[in-house]
Amino acid sequence: MTTTRAPSGTSPRPAVRVVLVDDHRMFRAGVRAELTEAMAAAGGAAACEFVGEAPDVDTAIAVIRAERPDVVLLDVHLPGGSGNGGADVIRGSYGVETDAGAPVRFLALSVSDAAEDVIAVIRAGARGYVTKTIGARDLITAIRRVADGDAVFSPRLAGFVLDAFGAAAGEIAEVDEELDRLSAREREVMRLIARGYQYKEVAKELFISVKTVETHVSSVLRKLQLSSRHELTAWAMGRRLL
Amino acid sequence: MPTPFEPAAAHPRAGMPPRPEVSGPPRPPLVRARGRGWTPGVCAAIARHLGLSPKAVRWSFVILTAFGGAGVVAYAFLWALTPEGDVVDDGTGQVAVASDRRQWGSLILIGAALVLVGGVLVLPILGGSLIGSVLLPLFTIAVGAIVAWSNLDEAQRSRWLESGTGPNRFGWMRVALGVGLTVTGILVIVTRGQSFSAVWDALLAAIAVLVGALIIAAPWAMRLWGDLRREQVAAARATERADIAAHLHDSVLQTLALIQRQSGDAAAVTRLARAQERELRTWLYDGPQGSQSTLAAAVTEVAHEVEDLHGQVVDLVVTGDRPYEPHGAALTQALREALLNAVRHGRAPVTAYVEIGPSGVEAFVRDRGTGFDLDDVPADRLGVRQSILGRMERHGGSARVRRRDDGTEVELRLPPLQGDQP
Repeated sequence: MTTTRAPSGTSPRPAVRVVLVDDHRMFRAGVRAELTEAMAAAGGAAACEFVGEAPDVDTAIAVIRAERPDVVLLDVHLPGGSGNGGADVIRGSYGVETDAGAPVRFLALSVSDAAEDVIAVIRAGARGYVTKTIGARDLITAIRRVADGDAVFSPRLAGFVLDAFGAAAGEIAEVDEELDRLSAREREVMRLIARGYQYKEVAKELFISVKTVETHVSSVLRKLQLSSRHELTAWAMGRRLL
Repeated sequence: MPTPFEPAAAHPRAGMPPRPEVSGPPRPPLVRARGRGWTPGVCAAIARHLGLSPKAVRWSFVILTAFGGAGVVAYAFLWALTPEGDVVDDGTGQVAVASDRRQWGSLILIGAALVLVGGVLVLPILGGSLIGSVLLPLFTIAVGAIVAWSNLDEAQRSRWLESGTGPNRFGWMRVALGVGLTVTGILVIVTRGQSFSAVWDALLAAIAVLVGALIIAAPWAMRLWGDLRREQVAAARATERADIAAHLHDSVLQTLALIQRQSGDAAAVTRLARAQERELRTWLYDGPQGSQSTLAAAVTEVAHEVEDLHGQVVDLVVTGDRPYEPHGAALTQALREALLNAVRHGRAPVTAYVEIGPSGVEAFVRDRGTGFDLDDVPADRLGVRQSILGRMERHGGSARVRRRDDGTEVELRLPPLQGDQP
């Protein structure tokens, strides 16, 4: 476990400091190896740097408080804690800030498809949700994005969101600020992400900038975290989740 | 197994709908239909089992009753021994709802009322004493017990007794009525020919003894009850664990063994791992699968099939759902063709998104290959033209192939179902 920062080298920005939380040692080692390999293949300075790892809730909170990383890669199911584990780590790390003064951000990384898991970690404050089958390069992109405070949606999460907000059934918010529905634009963005589009492809398709796409996705994330839409509950209930 | 008793099954008369009867060797099991009828359904069960007309069976019970009440005894015996179950109607394949039992039940009630009235009318003639003091109360007790227990039987006694989800209001009414009748009958028998005050004293004494016994027995009974519950829970848990172990053995361990054996073949390993992951995921998160007759289920199945065929991951996201019908089936087939094209000619990742909503169905299949233009496809290649475009158009939908910078996207659209939007 090293706490020194990697030299920024030719990269205009320092490497993203990452803590990896997962109860399977094999998986942690695998992610590290895969990402290191991918970054080496890409050449130049490392895009991210592993500063710590933890196998359970209590260790994770301790490591996060000590290291104050930019991004925590977080498994949703962990030993310890009162919930499933992932959400407990996020709640236990509220208020921890990095050296730069940004909050520690969480990217959920899971094998689970269960909506319950997605909703739990997102509502606890995770900035994104990707499945463990994600490729190394996509994962690096996702980590960078989360470090910048943007949201990361996998196609599956986008599908969940469309279902949960009734957007697939045609429910559209009249005003963007409405928490319980997606706006027409947000729905379009979610649909494209569900179709497997990258952010820049979404931007091209809708003739908007990538930054605007990121804004829309963050706004959807906020709605997902704050909405008290009863369907979120009903929907989870329908899948025997609550 | 044709018998002389089932001519209707062998020769359905013209103009009459054939009755759903036994048409060959597996006989339907002897079970009483779980339903809301008034009677336990013994006659119907026997009729179903033997392939006879329910009416004939009922009449034979009535006739048997004339011989020293043998019919009643046989009925009670069979009632006690025949299990309840879901009855599948041969004709429709549906779980039969015993509608005729309801009629039969009302007939019984009318009969019972008639007997009661008859008894009351005959009472003075026979000199009151015997009937009034013994037979009538006995009859009341019997009717009360039947009414009360028939309800318990329906709710599967034990389940009713232990679970918090008691019977409905109607059920409670029946229990109350039954208990009331029984208690009245017993009281009449016990107190015959005594003054009211004597009865009252006896009643008080009896109640005191009962309450005393209850107080003494309560802790023990409660503990016994608790032990029983705990045992039941433990047994259920053990069964569940055994189920999980069996499932893991059948699926995961077998797959792991296969993977070890084929560890040299990367493609095979990926395919096995993916198929197993999917199967386990379905088992863990979707619960037991019922009849898969929705579009979402069909689409998912097709994607899995393509994955298995080519060992390439298809990232499928489905939102919404609707019943599976011919148009949806056409879309599913077209989607299958598009997915096959994508995994054959494109590069991973292959993603598919199917949105099923009130404004129709939209499906997108995307790959990262070099892409192709429909105009470049030779006219003799039927894959895209017939299987995708032609099929969608025949069903009132449309299909579009888009060539993108880094791949191809096939879009399939279906208009809403007629019931969805007028």
